[in-house]
Amino acid sequence: MAGTQAPNQQDDAALIARLRARDEHAMADLYDRYSGIVYGVALRVLGDTTAAEDVLQEVFLQLWRRPQAFDADRGKLAPWLAVIARNRAIDLLRRRPAEDDISELPISTGVNLEDTAGRRLAVEKVRGVLTGLPQEQRKALEMAFFEGMTHTEISAKTGEPLGTIKTRIRSALSAVRKAFA
Amino acid sequence: MKDHAQFAEDLALYAMGALDEQARRELETHLGTCGECRREVEALRADLALVAMSATGPQPPQRSRQRLMDAIATGQREESKVRTMPPPQRGWPRWLILAPVAAALVLAAVCGVLMVQVQRLQQALAVERQNSEQARQVVRALIDPAAQRMTLVAATRRPPRIKTIYEKKKGLVVLIADSLDPIPDDKVYQLWLLPANGGDPMPAGTFSIDSSGNKVMIHNLGSMGIDAKAFAVTVEPTGGSKTPTMPIVYAPEG
Repeated sequence: MAGTQAPNQQDDAALIARLRARDEHAMADLYDRYSGIVYGVALRVLGDTTAAEDVLQEVFLQLWRRPQAFDADRGKLAPWLAVIARNRAIDLLRRRPAEDDISELPISTGVNLEDTAGRRLAVEKVRGVLTGLPQEQRKALEMAFFEGMTHTEISAKTGEPLGTIKTRIRSALSAVRKAFA
Repeated sequence: MKDHAQFAEDLALYAMGALDEQARRELETHLGTCGECRREVEALRADLALVAMSATGPQPPQRSRQRLMDAIATGQREESKVRTMPPPQRGWPRWLILAPVAAALVLAAVCGVLMVQVQRLQQALAVERQNSEQARQVVRALIDPAAQRMTLVAATRRPPRIKTIYEKKKGLVVLIADSLDPIPDDKVYQLWLLPANGGDPMPAGTFSIDSSGNKVMIHNLGSMGIDAKAFAVTVEPTGGSKTPTMPIVYAPEG
């Protein structure tokens, strides 16, 4: 029974259920488990520790206010939080009006991201893939994903045609997918 | 006009919000009818989530945890500090320092003008946000694999068409009406949800078409989790009705 597990062994669904029951300690457990992801992504995008910390606060507060925004049946928290953190940080970076990013759709993946070991492995693996990419592919992906540039902006900045940019990004993501297949 | 293969090339950029406005709109129209592309968007979102997670590592400052728990305990609304990157530094123009009175008067006048502009911008932003939020809801419904899709055609004539997308968990219905016939000014079209349990048809929003016979409507049912057997559209007096007036003008095909 989820309720009798030690907090560090509870799965996402159990933690969210406690959140829905307004258990503040569940929030602390979630923070301990996922703050590294949220802060890391925000810092990567913003390059500023104070701004990254603000994103961290916002994302977790939003989760506290609306735990029902996460559907434990259809996805995992780790990837979901990572994407929300990225989107919120990009909004800040590009000075866009704050969107309701917490309404992001669930991310369903076959990769084991439920436990600490699984997440660590996944992070190592994807880092390895990204480092191993041809530089122009990695650069294109980074510009689009971590800098929030549109494909037109990337094309203008690199001087490469749109089609080339699209292909490089697709190739980069294809490499990620293959590594986890 | 792009073909499926060309749209497929745009999916990765779309999944991370890197397509510009027009390309995004065209792709979303395609996604409304292409299950293969919708599934690929889902897979790409998972790939991108892994890419995001590659940034895991740096630990937040110790105080962050307590700051969060304090905010929760007191139930405060953490005002979004929305720390945008600081603007470039500008020095004070010389004349401001040398002519304080004149400067004060000019500043007051400028502030007055700016206030009006700010107000106008805020209003425009509010409208824009509403439109953006609506657009985002349509997009989410379009790519959500769990949403229930149905195309309604005219019961007696073609080619006017209505697409409905129902997100049961959220209690949201998206309606996309295409080339419908005009109806008298004192009438509206009304959408109904026909519950799977055989209950009475539920009102699901009234709408009027534009001059091209088109309309996009998002209706919040106010209740979630209702199983829908079908949707249908009738013509009702302005303001809508509690029960449908026959005939049904749009119903699911088949």
